[in-house]
Amino acid sequence: MDEPETPDAELVSRTQAGDPQAFDKLVVRYSPRLYGLVYNMTSNHEDTNDLLQDIFAKAYRAIKGFQGKSSFYTWMHSISVNMTINFLKKRNRRAALSLDDVDNGIMNDPDFIEATSDHDPRHQANLGELQKRLNEAMMKLSQEHRAVVTMFDIQGMPHSEIAKILKISEGTVRSRLFYAHRQLQNYLQEFITN
Amino acid sequence: MANEPDISKLLKLKRYERPPAGYFDDFLSEFQSRQRAELLHRPLMEIVWDRLSSMAPTFHVPRIAYASMAALALAASTLILTRPMAVQPSLASANASPGSLSLNSPQPVTIGQGVPVVFTSTGSPSVHYVLPARPVSYASPRSF
Repeated sequence: MDEPETPDAELVSRTQAGDPQAFDKLVVRYSPRLYGLVYNMTSNHEDTNDLLQDIFAKAYRAIKGFQGKSSFYTWMHSISVNMTINFLKKRNRRAALSLDDVDNGIMNDPDFIEATSDHDPRHQANLGELQKRLNEAMMKLSQEHRAVVTMFDIQGMPHSEIAKILKISEGTVRSRLFYAHRQLQNYLQEFITN
Repeated sequence: MANEPDISKLLKLKRYERPPAGYFDDFLSEFQSRQRAELLHRPLMEIVWDRLSSMAPTFHVPRIAYASMAALALAASTLILTRPMAVQPSLASANASPGSLSLNSPQPVTIGQGVPVVFTSTGSPSVHYVLPARPVSYASPRSF
């Protein structure tokens, strides 16, 4: 039987008291989710790996100052988004895409079948094309719009949580989403069924 | 607006993009080795800052407040230590008027007669004080 998961707040307190193993547990817990956030904003696996290391290192250094005014989840996402946006601003030229593999489960996803059915019956061939076009379209958005799309559409976070992370109003989150969706529709018109 | 749900469905497909198998298992060990390497190559100022921070009381006061107070204290100390001495050379080296007395003077000095006393920085070991009245200690002690 699995032991109940230790709450974030307890692990944070233990880390603040000088227990590095407690922070290791937080790293294990949050790395997959934050990987997705950073990866979908950079579309580059190597950059994501380096950034994620830096994000956790920064969080570890700053955790003594974490007073629990927001949840650890929100705090970590804020650090991640800010560091990724700063990184992308410094990365002058558009870096080449370095994409992760796509899980085979996508073949049975009705949305994938629907998106690729008009093109070619061989979905495997279209998979690479769709992935490339999706990532290219994402990279055409500004960093701020990409962050909102990543958190809302890909990670499924509610508007209120995104607003807290980005320290903006929910109205701004909605308007950024609206604008970003309109842009993405133009880039990905051929995959959208009317 | 009609296509908005479709674009959301397409974007959700990005969830299937995954890092190589075993990536997250290796991530923690890479993080730990980086942390250790960082500890070995930390700048001296960072170590000093960390030590000072850990010594500071853990009130809910932002670190910047401690830093400001420390900077203020440092500035004040520097100001005090580098300030010139208050002794004015013009006063110290001024020639005493014929009627005044100097502490360097071999003559006895009587306090309380309205005679100006001039202090000079070149102090002399032989200074005499003559009090106009009998010292208090010479009076007979009182018994309670």
